[in-house]
Amino acid sequence: MPKVVSVHSYRGGTGKSNFTANLATTVAALGHRVGVVDTDVPSPGIHNLFCLEPEQMGKTLNNYLWGESPIEDTAYDVSSNVGLNSGGTLYLVPSSVKADDIARILNNGYDVKLMNDGFRSLVKALKLDYLFIDTHPGLSKETFLSIAISHVLILILRPDKQDYQGTAVTIDVARQLNVRKMLLAINKAHSKLNLEALKQKVEETYSETVAGVFPLSEDIVQLASEGVFCVKYPEHPVSQEFRRVALQITEG
Amino acid sequence: MSDLGNLQSLTSSIAAVTSPFRNYLNDLHEKYRSLNEGKVADYIPELALAKPEWFGICVVTQDGHVFEVGDCDQLFTIQSISKAFVFGLALEDHGREYVNSKVSVEPTGEAFNSIVLDEVTNRPYNPMVNAGAIATTDLIKGKNGTERLKRLLEMFERYTGRVHDINVPVFLSEKATGYRNRAMAYLMLNFGMVSHNIDETLDLYFQQCSIVVNAKDLAMMAATLANGGVNPVTKKRAIDERYVQDVISVMLTCGMYDASGEWAYRVGLPAKSGVGGGITAIAPGKLGIGTFSPLLDAKGNSVRGIKVCEDLSREFGLHLFNVTTPERKLHDWIAGGDGINDW
Repeated sequence: MPKVVSVHSYRGGTGKSNFTANLATTVAALGHRVGVVDTDVPSPGIHNLFCLEPEQMGKTLNNYLWGESPIEDTAYDVSSNVGLNSGGTLYLVPSSVKADDIARILNNGYDVKLMNDGFRSLVKALKLDYLFIDTHPGLSKETFLSIAISHVLILILRPDKQDYQGTAVTIDVARQLNVRKMLLAINKAHSKLNLEALKQKVEETYSETVAGVFPLSEDIVQLASEGVFCVKYPEHPVSQEFRRVALQITEG
Repeated sequence: MSDLGNLQSLTSSIAAVTSPFRNYLNDLHEKYRSLNEGKVADYIPELALAKPEWFGICVVTQDGHVFEVGDCDQLFTIQSISKAFVFGLALEDHGREYVNSKVSVEPTGEAFNSIVLDEVTNRPYNPMVNAGAIATTDLIKGKNGTERLKRLLEMFERYTGRVHDINVPVFLSEKATGYRNRAMAYLMLNFGMVSHNIDETLDLYFQQCSIVVNAKDLAMMAATLANGGVNPVTKKRAIDERYVQDVISVMLTCGMYDASGEWAYRVGLPAKSGVGGGITAIAPGKLGIGTFSPLLDAKGNSVRGIKVCEDLSREFGLHLFNVTTPERKLHDWIAGGDGINDW
C-alpha cells in the first residue's frame, strides 16, 4: 500500500523544503518510486532543490487545481536532475512561481477536495510507493487536509520558544485529525547544544518520537538551495541522519 | 469552548474529505463517468439543456456526515422525486385511511404516464405514477394555490435544510404541454377522485415537479427518512414519524417507475427517481444516497445513478434483505483507520 508523508512546520524558515527534498530523495535512493507535491502554493520553492527551472515547467499544480489538466500531466521526472542512478524514481509536481498564477489561487481559492482527489490520482497514475507533501507553514485548510490524509506526519521544529509553542498547537490539531503516525524532526540545532539531551527533552514535552536531530550545518547552507545535499555528500553525518529517518518511514 | 467547537467543525469537514468512504465514492464516480449510455430527457426544451457529463454522488449518513463527489451543487428539477415526499405531506394532512381511499399503493407495471385507474375503486394505482401523484397533490391543504405551494416548499426545506425555489421556465413548459396529465386529472374528476379545484391542483403538481434541487439535497432528503424523519444535520423533523414507513415502503414497491420490481430485487433500497436525472435512495437506519446524472434509460431512470446504487448496495451490504457479511463494512470505511486500504 502506498504511503503519504506530509512534512509540515508551524513557522516558516525551519528548512522544511530542504528537509522534504533530502528525505524524499533518500527514500527514492532506496529503490522506491517517490513523488513530491509542492502544495506551498503561496510561496513555492522546492523545485529549486530538484534543479527544475521555471522555464522548464509547463503545467503545474495550479493547472490541475483549475481543472485544466490531470494531475499526472503536471509531474516532472527529476531523478536525473538530482543524480539518482540507483534504480529509484523521483517525480515533482511543482506549484507555479508566476505572480499572476499565485494571485489567481489566492483570489479564487480552490476546493480542498480536489487536492485530496489529486493526491490519489497521482499515486495511481505514477504507481508511487511514497508521496511526500511539502506544505505551506502554519495552519490552513490545506494543512489540515495534508495532515488528515497522511500515513506519516513529520513536524519540523527549531529549538526555540516560538517553534515549541506552535508545534504544540499543530500536534493538538493532528491528534484531533487522528493522524496515524507522527514524527518530530529538530532542525538547525546549534552545535553547542547537547543533541541527545535536546531530543529527550522534546520527546518528553510532546510525548511523540523525535525521528532525527539535524545540527545547524554550514555545509548545507553553503550548498544553498541548489541540488540535494544527501546525494552530493552521501557520507556526511547529515546524510546519514536522513537515512535513519527514511528507514523509520519505510520500515514503520 | 467555541474555539474547540470551531476546531471540531473544521476537522470533521476535512475528515469527510479524506475519509476512505469518500475515496470509495470518488472511485465509483471515476468508474462510471465515462458510461455514456442513455439520453437526456427532451420532452420539454428546458430539460434538454442538461449536460450529459453532469454527474454527482452524495451520501449523508444517519449521524449527519456528508460525503460529496462530482457535481453535487449542480441544480436541476426534482420532477417525480417530489411525489414520494408530497405523499408524506398528504398523509400528515389527512391520515392514512383517507389518503388510501383516494390513491392505492399497488405497483402498476405500467409506464409512469399511463392512464389507468383501478376498475373497481376508480383509484389511481399508487402515488408514484402521474395519476396517483396528481390525486395526492390534490389533497395538500391550503386556502389557495400560493399557500399550498408555500407549504410544499417549506416541507422540502425541512428535509434539506435549504430554501427551495421553482424553475419557472420548466414549470411553464410542463404546464403548456401537460395535456396527458390534464386528461388524467379530468378522468379522475369524472370518477370523483379529485376535487373540482383541478386547475389549481394541476398548477401545483407542475410546480412541485419544477422545484430546484441538487444531489446533496436528494441525499439529505433520503438521510432524513433513513433517520426516522429528522434531518440528521439540522435535527429538525421533516415528517411525522408515523408516516415515514408509508413513504419508504411505497418508494420500494413503486419508486423506480416500471423497473421497481427489478430494482427492489437487485438493489433493495427504497428509492425514487426523476426525469431530471436525480435518484434518492434510502438505507433505513444507515444513510441516504443522492445521485445526479441526466442520462436516462428507456424507463426514465438515471443510468449512472442506477449503477452507483447497485455498487453501493452490493459492496456495503445495504440491500434491505441482505443477511451476508458485506465485502466492506460501512462503519469502518466511514471512520477510516489502518485496517482500510482505500488506495
